[in-house]
Amino acid sequence: MLRSIVVALAGALLAAGAHAQTIKIAILGPMAFVQGENHWAGAEMARDQINKAGGINVGGRKMMIELVRGDTNEMQSVSDATNTVERVVTRDKADFLIGGFRSEAVLAMQEVAMDYKKIFLGAGAAHSKLGINVEQNYDRYKYWFRVTPPKDVDLVRTTFAVLATVADQIRKQLGKPSPKVAILAEKAVWVEGIVAASQKNLPAMKMEVVGLWQPSAVATDVTAELAAIDRAGADIVFTLLSGPVGIVVGRQMGERNMKAIAFGINVEAQKDAFWQAAAGKANYVSTLDTYAEVQMTPKTIEFVRAFKERFGKAPTYNAGTHDAIQLLKTAIEQAGTTDADKLVPVLEKLSFVGAAGVIEFDKRHDPVWGLGKSTGIAVQWQDGKKVPFWPPQVPGMQSFKMPAR
Amino acid sequence: MLQDILVTGLVNGGVYALLAIGFSLIFGVARIVNIAHTAFYMLAAYCFYALLVKANLGFVLSAVIAVGAVTLVAVVCYRLVIEPVREHEAAVLIATIALALIFQELMLLTFGGHYLGIPSTLEGVVRVLGVSIPYQRLLILVVAAAALTLVWFVLYRTRLGLAIRATANDLEVANLMGMNVNRVAMATVAISVALAAVAGVVVAPVFVVDPFMWLAPLVTMLAIVVLGGLGSLKGSLIGALIIGYVEAITVFALPAGAYLKGAVALLIMVAVLLARPEGLFGVAFEEER
Amino acid sequence: MYLLRRGWAELKNEVFVLPSRTLVLAWVVALLALPAVYGDAYVLRILTMTCLFAIFAASWDLLAGYTGQVNFGHALFFGAGAYTSALLSLRLGVSPWVTIWAGAAVATLVGVFVGYLCLRLRGSYLSLATLAFPLIALGLLFAFPGFSGGELGISGLRRLALTPMANYYIAAVSMLAIVFALWKLAGSKFGIVLHAIRDDEVAARASGINTPRYKLAVFAVSAAAAGFAGALLAHYIRIAGPSSLEVALSFQVVIWGIFGGVATIYGPVAAVFLLYPLTEWLGSFRAVGELRLLAFAVIVLLVLLFMPRGLAPWVRDRIEAQCPRCKQRNGAWKRLCRLCGAPLKAEVARAQRLVGHQ
Repeated sequence: MLRSIVVALAGALLAAGAHAQTIKIAILGPMAFVQGENHWAGAEMARDQINKAGGINVGGRKMMIELVRGDTNEMQSVSDATNTVERVVTRDKADFLIGGFRSEAVLAMQEVAMDYKKIFLGAGAAHSKLGINVEQNYDRYKYWFRVTPPKDVDLVRTTFAVLATVADQIRKQLGKPSPKVAILAEKAVWVEGIVAASQKNLPAMKMEVVGLWQPSAVATDVTAELAAIDRAGADIVFTLLSGPVGIVVGRQMGERNMKAIAFGINVEAQKDAFWQAAAGKANYVSTLDTYAEVQMTPKTIEFVRAFKERFGKAPTYNAGTHDAIQLLKTAIEQAGTTDADKLVPVLEKLSFVGAAGVIEFDKRHDPVWGLGKSTGIAVQWQDGKKVPFWPPQVPGMQSFKMPAR
Repeated sequence: MLQDILVTGLVNGGVYALLAIGFSLIFGVARIVNIAHTAFYMLAAYCFYALLVKANLGFVLSAVIAVGAVTLVAVVCYRLVIEPVREHEAAVLIATIALALIFQELMLLTFGGHYLGIPSTLEGVVRVLGVSIPYQRLLILVVAAAALTLVWFVLYRTRLGLAIRATANDLEVANLMGMNVNRVAMATVAISVALAAVAGVVVAPVFVVDPFMWLAPLVTMLAIVVLGGLGSLKGSLIGALIIGYVEAITVFALPAGAYLKGAVALLIMVAVLLARPEGLFGVAFEEER
Repeated sequence: MYLLRRGWAELKNEVFVLPSRTLVLAWVVALLALPAVYGDAYVLRILTMTCLFAIFAASWDLLAGYTGQVNFGHALFFGAGAYTSALLSLRLGVSPWVTIWAGAAVATLVGVFVGYLCLRLRGSYLSLATLAFPLIALGLLFAFPGFSGGELGISGLRRLALTPMANYYIAAVSMLAIVFALWKLAGSKFGIVLHAIRDDEVAARASGINTPRYKLAVFAVSAAAAGFAGALLAHYIRIAGPSSLEVALSFQVVIWGIFGGVATIYGPVAAVFLLYPLTEWLGSFRAVGELRLLAFAVIVLLVLLFMPRGLAPWVRDRIEAQCPRCKQRNGAWKRLCRLCGAPLKAEVARAQRLVGHQ
């Protein structure tokens, strides 16, 4: 009896002692879905890498990273997500928060994190409001930094850059001076700005906009839209899709043997499971993406290969939690402390070479966009493989293919 | 464009008819609003996927086993979960909701939350009236028509069908006449869920399969059944065609408003209900005392 | 002094005589005293949300249990309150303390509108029609994203109070006030008329009751309470989004209502207090976390098999008995009725023996 008490006490002391030696990072995401799985996977890789190398050097003391798993259930309930944040901060005593995916939920989660003045690194939501909050109310929101993806406005810039490349290829191959573009955008707030920008800029880029179609993000059938697009004679289908409608578009375009090429933002097409989900029909579908075995930075290929080996599938942009943790480590070691207020100015001036790109933060704490910084890449599905083709000057890029006419 | 609407409306209407008629049957006979109806449709789709893609059993065999298995599961669930609480309408209601949630979560746990694609049974397209229709959709239409004809045959030309119709008409008198009402109810459940399962198997290759795929068809199906009149099979069929066409018209006529097709269908339902509170062909039941 | 003695007399004669009322009193005291004893921010957050959802569930019960209009789209009122309060406080800069009432008012108007449309509908038709309204509203919200924020909703709302404890008290006191008011309403003459309408509307009308007016009134009151809860929740999590109009939320309140026991008001409240923290607690375990919805559904199903009328009626039947003569409730262990003195369990032993011989 006495012995077990002593053992228990020793265990408690040891645990308390061990606790004092770790930095707790909470990974927040919808763990039952691909996004959360990638959040966790990227974080695990970073944690194992750092802990194996001895941990983080906090002002002379070595501390290990301990991950706290926060399943936000944000796909089904925004209030559950806020509860999770509160729990990991008050119960699990997390020091840092990383993750998030659904913009509506992340906006609410941001509020809770800022209440507790915890550094929250975003790894999934693209909505600008998250950064605008920092600019409008710096003292409250300064603890938020977005690591990935680039904010929605910057995603647009990448999209247009790639669109110009694709249009050029069409001009050369088909001899058409002004390719016809059909905009197929899901009905959602995030596309509004892009659609307006496209309608204004594409004619200036010598492309003709032949129409705008807006299915629901969860539409299961786009035959109507595709039939109309066929009739309009489009060469490019400019897709702005984040929901499962992306799969349906890929599959039905393939089934109809459409000659137009699909490019744009198609979040479902970024996933490895896309080819199977579209029953092998979605050839030539192209989209913006984040990771591929190309040398965006010296770390990219190594990271992607290690991820594939450990988890059996390619990383999606949510695995940016890996970069986020590495970035945090650099900042902590530079500042010599884990105190949030002292870390904020260090993070603001940081220039970090991650696996996806070079991460620097602007005054809204969004990643700075630009070639050589964070732009993302563009990939195309060719015969079951996701092939990167943009930016063309990066070593490892392959060429963009068009369906035979 | 007119041809597009004609064809798309017919195909979608056919699918909705499969679901709506099954739902109407159960309601008519057992007075159960089966919220889990489309959940069985989802189960059948997953079963078909598992048998076809994982076990490589071939289309026909996978389809038959999937439909059979789901029907069996439905009958078992009915026996274990619904029958004990038959008298308490409210309890039956949330029992079916709870069942649907259980199926959703089980599929989520087994197959994950991502979207799965099932290869088409028939490849290729055919051009009809200037519209290119994939063979798979024609197959859906043919199967829907065949299933509906079969159901009509069972209901109007067999003794079981007679019993089902009698029970739907007046449960107590049917009981007094010596029909085993419980067994009739179980048979109805079996037929109804079989229809839903057939819909799942035949439609799944065209759509994406995910654990939440039962929610959207549920709402549309409820709209159709209410529109046509609860308990009326003719009403369900006509309602399905109406809603199928309404959705097709919305999508073709208003390309930028395609996301509204669900809301438009529901608006139509509300409009009809305002004019005719029992739906188009529904019978206003005397309050059962 | 007189008040104290009067209060004590009331307590002794009205509350402590019945175990169910004593339980409720204990629960109220616990609810109000909680922050003093256990001030953990996470627990307070869970309980705050529980209180708000309890208001929501109680409002549904008034509508569905008492008049029999089983509403499958109750989230519409919830969302209407949330969005109204959000828009007014964010776009016009009005204080949240004012906008929550505006939210309730707009929800009331929506309630009357829906009620009016559903006047001629009965039973399942009404249920399924009400399912449609939140979805139509969602479609409208998505059609005007500049106004409503589309799928992101309206964020950056101001809190009603700054500390977790203050927010908790706002929610708890609102909940107690509203639930008590609803309970009193349901137990009054108004409530009796509602029962009559549910059981046989034709007979009620034949008796001269203006049933449409009562049905609309119930829709209005129920919607007002739900809208108030929605506005409070929006200001608590600081965002009013399409998640407040979801079908899942409507189904959730139906489950809470029926699980707790329809036509009781306190039943759904008990159900929320039981189920919501339970699912939250389940969700915090890594292994079980992903099973929380499954566990929730299984629990609901199992409980339903044993308590088909709901949890609260089942519990009440265990601890209380009804006097056969004056029909008032007594503690189940008592032998004589506290009001009329009649024996609670009829002595039938001898009579049975007589009958048995024949």
